[in-house]
Amino acid sequence: MTPRSLITGLLLASAAAVPGLAQEGRDVTIVLGEEVDLVEPCMATRSNIGRIVLQNISETLTELDVRGDGGVMPRLAESWEQVDDNTWRFNLRQGVAFSDGSAFDAEDVKHSFERAQSPEITCEISRYYEGIEITPTVVDAHTIDFRTEPAQPILPLMLSLLTIVPSETPMEFTREPIGTGPYALAEWNPGQNIRLERRDDYWGEQPEVTGANYLFRTDEAVRAAMVQAGEADIAPSISAIEATDPAMDKPYPNSETTYLRIDHSVAPLDDIRVRQALNLAVDREAFIGTILAEGTEIATAIVPPTTIGWNSEITPPPYDLERARALLEEAKADGVPVDSEILLVGRTGNFPGATELYEALQAMLSEAGFNIRLQMVEVAEHEQYYSKPYVDDRGPILVGAQHDNSRGDPVFSMFFKYDSEGRQSGIADARADELIAAATAATGDEREQLWSELFAYLHDEVVADVLLFHMVGFARVGPEVEFEPTIATNSQLQLAEIGLK
Amino acid sequence: MQRMIGKRAVSSLISLVGLVVLVFFLSRLTGDPAALYLPIDASEEMRQNFREIHGLNDPLLVQFGRYIGDLAVLDFGESIRKARPAIEVVLEGFAWTLQLALITMTLVTLAAVVLGSLAAFRVGSLFDRLASMLSLIGASAPDFWIAIVAIVVFSVGLGWVPTSGTGTVWHWILPIAVLFIRPFGLIVQVVRGAMLTALGSAYVKTARAKGVRNRPIIFVHTLRNAMLPVITVIGDQAAALLNGAVVVETIFGFPGVGKLMIDSILQRDFNVILAAIMVTALAIFVMNLLIDIAYALLDPRIRT
Repeated sequence: MTPRSLITGLLLASAAAVPGLAQEGRDVTIVLGEEVDLVEPCMATRSNIGRIVLQNISETLTELDVRGDGGVMPRLAESWEQVDDNTWRFNLRQGVAFSDGSAFDAEDVKHSFERAQSPEITCEISRYYEGIEITPTVVDAHTIDFRTEPAQPILPLMLSLLTIVPSETPMEFTREPIGTGPYALAEWNPGQNIRLERRDDYWGEQPEVTGANYLFRTDEAVRAAMVQAGEADIAPSISAIEATDPAMDKPYPNSETTYLRIDHSVAPLDDIRVRQALNLAVDREAFIGTILAEGTEIATAIVPPTTIGWNSEITPPPYDLERARALLEEAKADGVPVDSEILLVGRTGNFPGATELYEALQAMLSEAGFNIRLQMVEVAEHEQYYSKPYVDDRGPILVGAQHDNSRGDPVFSMFFKYDSEGRQSGIADARADELIAAATAATGDEREQLWSELFAYLHDEVVADVLLFHMVGFARVGPEVEFEPTIATNSQLQLAEIGLK
Repeated sequence: MQRMIGKRAVSSLISLVGLVVLVFFLSRLTGDPAALYLPIDASEEMRQNFREIHGLNDPLLVQFGRYIGDLAVLDFGESIRKARPAIEVVLEGFAWTLQLALITMTLVTLAAVVLGSLAAFRVGSLFDRLASMLSLIGASAPDFWIAIVAIVVFSVGLGWVPTSGTGTVWHWILPIAVLFIRPFGLIVQVVRGAMLTALGSAYVKTARAKGVRNRPIIFVHTLRNAMLPVITVIGDQAAALLNGAVVVETIFGFPGVGKLMIDSILQRDFNVILAAIMVTALAIFVMNLLIDIAYALLDPRIRT
């Protein structure tokens, strides 16, 4: 007996000794890069938690259709209507049970909302309802009204983020999440694995996968190796460098947009010619297929093209070094201090190839005549540059960052990134503020129109920032399962969408 | 011997207190946990609220006083990230690291002592040169590289062992093998050097002159005397492993205390950082004590 066959034999024997495998249907193993510290439903908008919890353990009233053009789809709510400008009524699904056996009704929805908003715990999803007064009122066991101030035309979409917990859930982070989803938490060994098991009493269609074992490996090479070695079925996120096997590695737009945020309040960046020169000096095409993966798209807005109001008429600035230099000369002649040192801040490990990307940008901008100092920082320090309050007496700063919006509507991005009051806004522009407010309150075609107008205004007239790329991620999917990653794969991974071969 | 242990304990306690003070204030200098824990777009109100709940708004000295007070009753506080007692989280991780370190160091010590002694006994031979070369490579190769190559070759290529994780005996093989290499390389060199010195001493010549055979000379006469510097290095290396085999734990997804410490530092989970440092410092203190005792047992001159 060779050592290899001996070891294989022992391995097989030990595998056979593990009960519960190899029954009808089967479990899948999913290897993630980031361990979860909590399995708390009200934190499900944080991507590492959402990938496990969202729509697997905990469900929402509505759900955004990321695989088709269905828009906002019913989930725990069967239908909804706008009663008046400020009130939305949701009719809830009947005959739904939580995994602890209790029945789902309007009180649970009310409690879930209030819990998420409660100052007693810091739930992440509450930030999506910030600045809006929302009052849920139970009408009957299966009807609930949400009154909002100001009016929220997209409240149904916003409620696709609110995970529903039973009304008995205490106002503290739970370690035993109870939900209405097709799976329930079966096992959690911190630092090692989390296992979900399929529920027999799920209200909807039974998914094929009987359970999921989540493992956590920081190193991308290890995650890729695990799928290759058959130890895992899906690694939802590996880098382009590891994605060497076209049969297993599936690219997908991961809804991240990379850009350089310009601080318009400090010279020389307050001059539009300087901002145009920054844009013209970047050879965006040169990155694709080299530092960044093939399939990366050049961005003309902070949100991906699948977002409503997407303006396909905006064209990215061409790579034109001569024009960039000429603009800088012109600005210099008018007394703009174009020679000042500009700080370019990048975040270490923000995405694969981040450092290389910023180094290349520094080189390109320097070639056009800018005086750029690159500084790579870790996340907490990056935050000090990226979010208000900004430091006083700062020099000119470009902040390299990524923004993720897979939620279909620009409202989750635009206030924040471009309003005068936005926490990460580099501009203070009255027209932009107006358009943001108008679009936020509008519905239907008018809403799309207004967002479209805002995108064009920011890109062509304000030259708000240096938009770079809509990024591409790779999922490695093993030969035994069927799974197509989507734009939402960064933030959720529905086990019900995994097929077995 | 008892006096020695007592003296050691007192001096270690002083260092431990110093360490706690230092780490408490240094970790507070690294920034606000609210900035990391909460989403980047959290409102100032959310941040205030978060600081309030976790007592981060109080003056630093008040926070420190509270921490020391809790510590006196062995309460290390809650982990902000995990919403569990910090000490529980740390002990879980430490148990894994301790096992890893114990198994690795036992194997390393056995292998390095045998190989190093044999190499010293046949200085200049092919075996000696081979052992020296291999141990040098082992002591200098970066472990993240060895780990990845090992996974690619032994897990993906040959399919002998699992790539990573825990669960069966097989999961331990690669992490231990990777951890083994560096201390092994180092200790072989030290054993060889110490043995060479000892073999050149007068008592070995005397033994030889009396006709004692090679094996007793190596393993009875020389080894005991050559072990003193070796034990120091073994102690150092074991301490390094206990402090967390960070790289290996991270790559192999091993839930040890090293990985925990790095994660907690990145997430500003102060209570876990402090608890982890206390636990590992205590472990290192115990180990140093064991080394001192081993010294004393091996060399009667130290016992007084």
